[in-house]
Amino acid sequence: MSLKNFLAIALGILSAIGGFVDIGDLVFNTQAGATFGFQLLWVVVIGVVGIIVYSEMCGRVAAISKRPVFDLVRERTGFGAGLATLIASEVVNLLTCAAEIGGVAITLQLLSGLPYRLLILLGVVALVVVSWTLPFEWIERVFGYLGLCLLVFAVAAIKLHPNWGKVAHGFVPGSHSGGSTMVYFYFVVGLLGAAMTPYEVYFYSSGAVEDGWGLKELGLNKVTSIIGYALGGFLSFALMIVAAVLFLPRGIDPQFLGTPPLASADAVGQLGLLLALVGILFAVGGAAIETCFAGAYNLAQFFGWRWGKRERPARASRFALSWLVIFALALLVVMTGYDPVKLTEYSVIFSVVALPLTYLPILLIANDRTYMGSHTNGRLANVLGVVYFVIILLVAVAAIPLLVLTNGGQG
Amino acid sequence: MRKRNWCIQAAAILAVALPCAGCGGGELSASALSKQADSLRSLAAEGALLAEDASAGKTTRTFSRVHSSDLDKAASKAAASLETAKTKPALESERRRLASLAQRISDDLDRLGNASKGEQRSLANELQRAAEQSNQIAEGLK
Repeated sequence: MSLKNFLAIALGILSAIGGFVDIGDLVFNTQAGATFGFQLLWVVVIGVVGIIVYSEMCGRVAAISKRPVFDLVRERTGFGAGLATLIASEVVNLLTCAAEIGGVAITLQLLSGLPYRLLILLGVVALVVVSWTLPFEWIERVFGYLGLCLLVFAVAAIKLHPNWGKVAHGFVPGSHSGGSTMVYFYFVVGLLGAAMTPYEVYFYSSGAVEDGWGLKELGLNKVTSIIGYALGGFLSFALMIVAAVLFLPRGIDPQFLGTPPLASADAVGQLGLLLALVGILFAVGGAAIETCFAGAYNLAQFFGWRWGKRERPARASRFALSWLVIFALALLVVMTGYDPVKLTEYSVIFSVVALPLTYLPILLIANDRTYMGSHTNGRLANVLGVVYFVIILLVAVAAIPLLVLTNGGQG
Repeated sequence: MRKRNWCIQAAAILAVALPCAGCGGGELSASALSKQADSLRSLAAEGALLAEDASAGKTTRTFSRVHSSDLDKAASKAAASLETAKTKPALESERRRLASLAQRISDDLDRLGNASKGEQRSLANELQRAAEQSNQIAEGLK
């Protein structure tokens, strides 16, 4: 593998850590583990395979057509459906971005002890400066690689000596114990939503266009989506295992962003705590940038504006203004003082409702020879794509009723 | 226009219903009290774990102070709401026990922020006992 290809995998790692493991995964995986032990590990596998299937499609569509997904969504589905998809995804992006910014501020507070609201401001200023000044490659490297500190949760999971037989059993769907059936399904929906958040594919495909992917990168696309998201899934397993071993027997219901790092501290000590906090800071910070840029990409691609992180802001002024406005709006949402963990729960559940609007056009375009030539979906990609679309439809219908009926998973 | 009004009404109902889901009106039922007890158990148990890890030198001083303060805020909010809550006469003694337990948990968590290693150890034990008591109350209400 050439050095260029090796570095290109960073795009996948950033998407995996900053996209797959974001505040939504931290919240839902630890809460699921603390409520149902290892019994929901199988849902993470389903979510990981789902995001791999659709990311690979998005990357392939971007590499062959040289156009990102949202550009094609509007062209393929028409203005009305495209606009509905745009509005839904922008609302979810904004909520998610606000939750990630809140997560950055909380993590900074756990590290520094400074006031929360001051850290929200400092955090947003830092993210804007980083997004404005650093080239795309450096944003990928800084956030992607420092986000890898989250691997400390895998070490913690091993050091807590879980019953590996029961862990293995958790990968098989079946009957459950420990909480109500409604709450169980609420977490199934939440874990799938956290794994398959729409902004991940928008960001991934736009990044592929910006990186100038072509036919040569199709193999790289496969490797990036599989390795990147599998790594994200591996971290999700670790979070759930840690919560199952440490929090479930004690009756701890993780409602704070400081709770997962406490598990790392308990198993690994002070170094473990610091690695967990740094990992969370960069994973959540990277996700804040991703959601913000995904929002700006969608707007620019829908309205046909010049876009791209590589473009000088003066040349792509509406795109640059869009991401600045999204950061500003997210800042206002967090400054209201609304709990970022609650905000995360709502943003993940609402993103589930928007999933079919995101994934159906991708499936259709990936099968359209007009765009894809001979690189349309193969049989396996189509079978998986259709199966996942049915799953997505079911969870989208169930998401809001489950949120209300379970009082946000509280039972 | 009629369709638009319907959409606005539905959005308004959803906006009110989502945060209030599970409130159940002004009087606390046995199930709502049991949920409060579960929530107190969680706060106390997490405080105990934090105190234990802090006394073993596994956390930083800043982390312990900030995280115990977050837990304290939640316990203090629960104490205030339990103190003023109305419930059926048969559940009044449980409500009072929970309110006083919540206050004790909040006080312990408040002390934990600036405690010495020795105090952290004794707070870990106290919070663990409070978690067990909350659990007993919750089980009794189920």
